[in-house]
Amino acid sequence: MFESLSDPVDVLTVFADGRMRPLRFRWQGKVVRVRTVTGEWTRREGQAVLRYFAVESTAADTYELCFDPRGPRWILSRAWDGAR
Amino acid sequence: MILLIDMDAFFASVEQAHHPHLRGRPVIVCGDPGRRGVVTAASYEARPFGVRAGMPLQQARRLCPDAEYVEGRPEKYVALSLQLLELYLRYTPDVEPFSVDEAFVGLPPPGVRTLEQAAAIACRIQEEIASRFGLGASIGVGPNKLVAKLASGVRKPRGLTALDEEGFRGEFWPRDVEHLWGVGPKLAVRMRSLGFKTVGDLAHAPEPVLRGAFGVIGPQLRAAAWGRDDTPLIPYHQGVDPKSMGHEVTLPEDCDDPEFLEGTLLRLSDQVARRLRGEGWVGRTVTLKLRDRAFETLTRQRALPDFTDDHARIFEIARALFRIAWKRDPVRLLGVSVSGLERSPAGQGELFTRDERGRLLVRALDRVRDRLGEASLVPAGSLTHRRALGHVPFGALSARALERKSPLGGGH
Repeated sequence: MFESLSDPVDVLTVFADGRMRPLRFRWQGKVVRVRTVTGEWTRREGQAVLRYFAVESTAADTYELCFDPRGPRWILSRAWDGAR
Repeated sequence: MILLIDMDAFFASVEQAHHPHLRGRPVIVCGDPGRRGVVTAASYEARPFGVRAGMPLQQARRLCPDAEYVEGRPEKYVALSLQLLELYLRYTPDVEPFSVDEAFVGLPPPGVRTLEQAAAIACRIQEEIASRFGLGASIGVGPNKLVAKLASGVRKPRGLTALDEEGFRGEFWPRDVEHLWGVGPKLAVRMRSLGFKTVGDLAHAPEPVLRGAFGVIGPQLRAAAWGRDDTPLIPYHQGVDPKSMGHEVTLPEDCDDPEFLEGTLLRLSDQVARRLRGEGWVGRTVTLKLRDRAFETLTRQRALPDFTDDHARIFEIARALFRIAWKRDPVRLLGVSVSGLERSPAGQGELFTRDERGRLLVRALDRVRDRLGEASLVPAGSLTHRRALGHVPFGALSARALERKSPLGGGH
């Protein structure tokens, strides 16, 4: 099942063609490589627009990452517990 | 011509699209799966087990224990719904959102004159939804909103059904009268008792009989049974005025603690008032909704002498109604709504708050929330049982997340 998280994570990010994409991130001492972004959406929190990415890793685990521009910082907001 | 685009099992399909390991498996979207609540959406794989939206989660677990229970993300579904509307707007400006997962799309002449032309565009939209979002949609095509809406339900999922009025009659006249849009279970019982069992029976019912039995809607239902409907499509950009605004919450467990229940009413009143102010409305009728553990739902309402968008006044009325209506039985769900809405003219705020200091305070609080988010300020009275709250204002950490972060851990 999914676990709701709010873990700060370091994310290697590419900015290209006016878009941002997470490439890989470090979580619980391991590097997770993003194979594909399966969904994108935004959420407003006050004046800040948070950008969310649903991603599938090369190990076929899935996660939801959030880019919060107020840091700026990346947060891992949800992970499939099979990913642990 | 009009299309009704209905996203198939929208919330569950979004989770399956975003999380490939869920594809092909029964998925049930709900609130916090660790607490009780109801099914928000069930994937097509879960439906053969009898799981339906609105069903208590406990019942769903009995019917389909091996399903994946996924906590819903309303903000995600709303954001995707808006992305879908943008897609439709590339085809035509005549787009009317009907719900978070349904929209009417108008394809007027001279661009589109025939059912076949409209169906071809519907097919393109369906393919684009699949390729861009990985989601399925069922589309109904018809000469009016009624036929389009009913056609969308003929073949699901990923169906495409185009009907003209004659085709509608061929498809729907043999069906039970309850299949007609606007005929609910209670109305259907009354119709059957009058001998109108099918949509075709209703189409051929004498108009005076219908008028006598159902009043002004009788003839309208007869016209609907013929596939006739002149309801206009109201494009997205024109908007539709809301009739009411409200919030409700299913409590984490049945509760008979008056302090907790009134704290929850305060939080709901604050959310409603904030939304009224945010969208520029004032209202004068406050409605309380109360559901007990036997799923018996009671509503009580009271009108104010004047219009308001002040959470304290809404709460005052909601609490008074609660104190009269509540029989001390454990409560499952609470809701507060405000209706009788009017536009709040600029600068009229001072008419609706009790004093100048109160008005300035509300304005300052709104500014803080506009800047920092809804969770930045909440009424203190609503936090008396923070740990036990089933949901928290948008943007706040959930009670579970707070426990994870606490050095004391959970259970304290």
